[in-house]
Amino acid sequence: MRTRAAVSAALASAGILIAGWQSGVHVADTGSSAASTAAGTTGTTGSSGATGSSGTSGSSGSGSTGAGSSAAGGTAGASAKAGGTYDGSVVQTRFGSVQVRITVQGGKITDVTALQLTDAERKSVQISNRAAPLLRNEVLQAQSADVQTISGATVTSDAYLSSLQAALDAANL
Amino acid sequence: MNTQLLTTRPEVRRSSRGAANPFRGQHRRRLLRADLLAVLFWASLAGAISLWLADGGAAGFSTPAGSFTALGIVAGLAGMDLVLLMLLLAARIPVIDRTVGHDRALEFHRKLGKPALYLLLAHGVLIAIGYGMAEGLDPVSEGVALWVLVPDMWLAYISMLLFIAVVVTSLVAVRRRFPYEFWYAIHLLTYAAVLTSLPHQFSVGSLFAEGTWQRWYWLALCIATGAALVYYRIAQPLIATFRHQLTVKRVVGVAPGVVSIEMSGLRLDQLTGSGGRFFIWRFLAPGLWWHPHPFSLSAEPVRFDAAGQGTLRITVRNLGRGSARLAALKPGTKVAIEGPYGLFSTAARSRNHVVMVGAGIGITPIRALLESTPFQPGNATVILRGHSESELYLGEEILELCRQRGATLFHLTGPRPAGVRTWLPEHSARAGHRLSSFDPRLAEADVYVCGPGAWARNVLEDARAAGVRDDQLHYERFDW
Ligand SMILES: Cc1cc2nc3c(=O)[nH]c(=O)nc-3n(C[C@H](O)[C@H](O)[C@H](O)COP(=O)(O)OP(=O)(O)OC[C@H]3O[C@@H](n4cnc5c(N)ncnc54)[C@H](O)[C@@H]3O)c2cc1C
Repeated sequence: MRTRAAVSAALASAGILIAGWQSGVHVADTGSSAASTAAGTTGTTGSSGATGSSGTSGSSGSGSTGAGSSAAGGTAGASAKAGGTYDGSVVQTRFGSVQVRITVQGGKITDVTALQLTDAERKSVQISNRAAPLLRNEVLQAQSADVQTISGATVTSDAYLSSLQAALDAANL
Repeated sequence: MNTQLLTTRPEVRRSSRGAANPFRGQHRRRLLRADLLAVLFWASLAGAISLWLADGGAAGFSTPAGSFTALGIVAGLAGMDLVLLMLLLAARIPVIDRTVGHDRALEFHRKLGKPALYLLLAHGVLIAIGYGMAEGLDPVSEGVALWVLVPDMWLAYISMLLFIAVVVTSLVAVRRRFPYEFWYAIHLLTYAAVLTSLPHQFSVGSLFAEGTWQRWYWLALCIATGAALVYYRIAQPLIATFRHQLTVKRVVGVAPGVVSIEMSGLRLDQLTGSGGRFFIWRFLAPGLWWHPHPFSLSAEPVRFDAAGQGTLRITVRNLGRGSARLAALKPGTKVAIEGPYGLFSTAARSRNHVVMVGAGIGITPIRALLESTPFQPGNATVILRGHSESELYLGEEILELCRQRGATLFHLTGPRPAGVRTWLPEHSARAGHRLSSFDPRLAEADVYVCGPGAWARNVLEDARAAGVRDDQLHYERFDW
């Protein structure tokens, strides 16, 4: 390569990298406040981690269930009619853990809230924030976990839906 | 046999040394374009990594697992960027061809193959380690989990296998063992490899999630590359084939095993080869139509009438299975073309003075160049090299052209000396001749060289030793 080309290429590349890095630092700063602390649960990998569903009504504090309160599934049948809240399992993904809680009234899902969403990197937070409302709407419409994953957020969606399924199981829906 | 100066040198007034150089502007612009392309190349790599930096990717290095993942992401971005650049280099984009030439573009394309593959392999391995560490899995289990559990990942694994297959079959050693068509067919798998790698880039990685500008940049890059390939490699050749309607007019024997194929067609004024450029020809006859051959024009297109009806010509040496059958082509055979390509033409000129050196079948583009490239009488030297007089293909025509245009012509025939690296016949080499012996103004000339690889390298070396700079040297390779 000629010197002129080499120098210009080096300068241009350095400029682009520095610009990228600068905006990256900026992004990381604003992003870190959004990243909540993940609950230290030890779910298993992938979508099979439906271990600790809690059938009791929502006494557990947000995000702190830690899959530990797997106390009872026995009362589920009755409580589904009565209504209440049910926490899904904590599903571990490479981007963080996911857990959802459903509110049931008269055998219908009336609300879905996310107790934890993938948050490992700032981008995960962004994806989660976009995917969660979409997933919530679809679930409320379908009244089941049988909904499409959100493209670009497949990992979050899959984890969300498996946690949801566990909650539905717990609610005996 | 001998070294022969043919009496073509006309009595001319020497143009003074400081005469205006009409090629200076064109040459400057070409060098500038070359530099720009180099800058764009590096900028695109820096850009790919910047996509990740701007996403706060550097923060990933805070943990060991994150570091592996981060390195894996960077390797993947750089690798994919190289793959896209390779596709662009092979897309026969006119500006690249006019700047560095088709052969140099492909040479560079080939050089990028291994680095691209290594980056993609590193991407897979590093990500498996990084993700695995984050989830407490060993890389192999993580690799399996990724394959089984994550949508689109199985496609990415297939893509990786295809990339490995393509690069391995492109290695020179492997390539020699198989026919050209086999290598070509495997090479088409590149497109499958790229396509199967795309879904996971957009669905699994968070960098290109919906709503990010990174996603748009990457999509635009992929789409632009695909569009360039479709247009320049498929649409443009089809358009040229239909527009010019070339058909074989006659096939004329030139020497044992060498024929000239004359073709007639329409609007040949628009199909200027500008001397020494080549097309990729497909003769649409049974058993031949699927076999594309690069051949240089051996004569500029000649126009007969206002409609652009005219003829052009290639001269072909029987070198293998396909080209042997071309001698038996029937008049009326339709011809599909891709091109013109190459920089063995006036577009590469940088000086007033020009020296053209051809050997064997490499003489044919020299013939076309001599016909059309501008020079004042006395400002051109042509050197033809062959074992015997009969191997100086088109020698008569070239002698006539040299007479008409005022170029000096040398015939160099005879075997080369044993054990000496030279492009000259034995007696010339012994007499101590060099390239500069044939043209005293060599150092200020454009030097065009076409002939067998080893021979051409010796000519180029000789020229460099005489002070010819690289940007004055123009070399067409008949093997890619
Ligand atoms: C830019 C250029 C200009 C050329 N100009 C002329 C010319 O003016 N006159 C002339 O006689 N020959 C020319 N050739 C060489 C000519 O193209 C080959 O000799 C011919 O294609 C061989 O075909 P084949 O089927 O007879 O040989 P094969 O037995 O198929 O192969 C012989 C050799 O040619 C190579 N080859 C075959 N097809 C191609 C292809 N499509 N692209 C690249 N390499 C291929 C093979 O790898 C092998 O090394 C030129 C080559 C190039 C690259």
